[in-house]
Amino acid sequence: MLREKSRKIKTPYYLIMPPQVLIWVVVIFPLLWAIYISFHDWNPTISPQRTFVGIGNYLNVLRDARFLSALGRMFYYSGVGVTIQLVLGTAIALAIVEYIRSPRWRTTVLVLFLLPMMMAEAVAAQMWTLLITDTGTINNILVWLGFSPVGWRAKELALTTIMIVDIWQWTALPLLIAYAARISIPDGLYESARLDGASKWLILRKITLPYMRVPLAIAFLLRFMDSYKFLDKVFIMTYGGPGTATELPTFYLYQTAFSYFKVGYGAAMSWIFGIIAVIAMFFFWRLAKRMS
Amino acid sequence: MKKVDWKRFFGILGLVVYGIFVLFPIYWTINTSFKEVGDVYKVPPSFIPTKFTLEAYKFILQGTGRLALSNSLVVAIGATLIAVFLGTMASYAYSRYPFTGLTNEGAQFNLLTVRMFPPIAFLLPIFWLWKTLGLLDTHFALIVTYSAFNLPLAVWLLKGFMDSLPRSIEEASYVDGYSFWQTARRVVLPLIGSGLAATVALCWIFIWNEFIIAYLLGGTDVILYTAYLPALRRGMRIMWNQIAALSVLAIIPSVIILVLFRKYLIKIYLR
Repeated sequence: MLREKSRKIKTPYYLIMPPQVLIWVVVIFPLLWAIYISFHDWNPTISPQRTFVGIGNYLNVLRDARFLSALGRMFYYSGVGVTIQLVLGTAIALAIVEYIRSPRWRTTVLVLFLLPMMMAEAVAAQMWTLLITDTGTINNILVWLGFSPVGWRAKELALTTIMIVDIWQWTALPLLIAYAARISIPDGLYESARLDGASKWLILRKITLPYMRVPLAIAFLLRFMDSYKFLDKVFIMTYGGPGTATELPTFYLYQTAFSYFKVGYGAAMSWIFGIIAVIAMFFFWRLAKRMS
Repeated sequence: MKKVDWKRFFGILGLVVYGIFVLFPIYWTINTSFKEVGDVYKVPPSFIPTKFTLEAYKFILQGTGRLALSNSLVVAIGATLIAVFLGTMASYAYSRYPFTGLTNEGAQFNLLTVRMFPPIAFLLPIFWLWKTLGLLDTHFALIVTYSAFNLPLAVWLLKGFMDSLPRSIEEASYVDGYSFWQTARRVVLPLIGSGLAATVALCWIFIWNEFIIAYLLGGTDVILYTAYLPALRRGMRIMWNQIAALSVLAIIPSVIILVLFRKYLIKIYLR
């Protein structure tokens, strides 16, 4: 009879109401408002007048060469950067398991390697800016050793420099995931493979990597998602420059909406960029699902 | 003669090289934070401060730096508490009761969207929301915005912990005559205590580390430390030692959390 009582409790809508209200007020409602605004031309610094332009803003965004090249940069920055993070992180994780035997050393090394991941993107960017300005530490060391200084923030190199900082900070995440996946593979598998005389290379290809495929796909997704989401590093290290050499879509969006105050245009761009981002995510999600 | 294990040698060497790559910028920041500003620009660079001084820390802890750090602390704690509190409610409901139609899929989709959309795409309308309400540059706006952005993460993490809790425990508690709220408070919450702690830690770190929301929704009256960092770089001569000192102070809480929660981090990310 008492069991009946527990079953009779109604679905507690009141438990999900407050969170849903918060999300609706702060996220969904403003987003809907953004749709409305995106059909208008509105620059609040010039006049409060909003002129209706239909889907004009959307068409202009899709023809905006600056937006499209920013999108191209994003695929280079996120695609190449995240791939390197994944490969490097996996390699380091496997090396830790293979070559460090004492558990205490393993934990120490792991905690040290995870440090960059725990700090703010903004802090990491500041720390690296000190190192890579023209008279920064790395160039100072290069000059001191007799090499010529490198223009880390020059046009050709700037985006790659930011990518290196991203690799520095975020290789830790695939590393952590790969490490966790590797130590969860039962030792017995390796024992029997060794007894069968399998080479280390074969063991890596036939046991270790297949086992780690799903976690690594998740790591790739998480990283890809975060690397196109954030603009902190670009904002602090180069502010999009020199010229537009490091302008990623998120940063261009920031410029449009908060420096040029083209609010309607910015809203249209948010939607287009958001949709592209979500499509890219679903594409990778499908890919990851098929792989596993 | 003992044979040298070359594979092991190169493996360890690789780890050491990566370790230097990872740790050098951190070491250099700590090094810089104890320098005088003239010492920062020296060639060849000084690998330990020529003159060890706490000037930079004094400057940060006496001026706007302290205000920025304490604002960050208030906002991060407030938003974390709200996000985790509401997240616990929602995740318990989602974990234990079937939600059909709009409440289920709609709710899940809301949460997913927040995670995948770039924050800057949200910020334009949110900025105007707070501006219209006259709440721009207040603790309130920052706390509410941050808690909304971290709620999906909290729900997602906590639902995992709740799902792994067998239902029979609650049923036993009902049999013992506990009410719904008593069960929630005395049985469920203590059992997922460690998961709750991990969720708090992770949400806190995300909020503490966030930059663009802090920069756009705050910045003048309520300045958070991430937004204060670029402000420090203005001027003819950049006071790198002060920037470094603020960075070091800002990293300390995260390092403490990393050391305390190192075991949970792996579990959380694997889900």
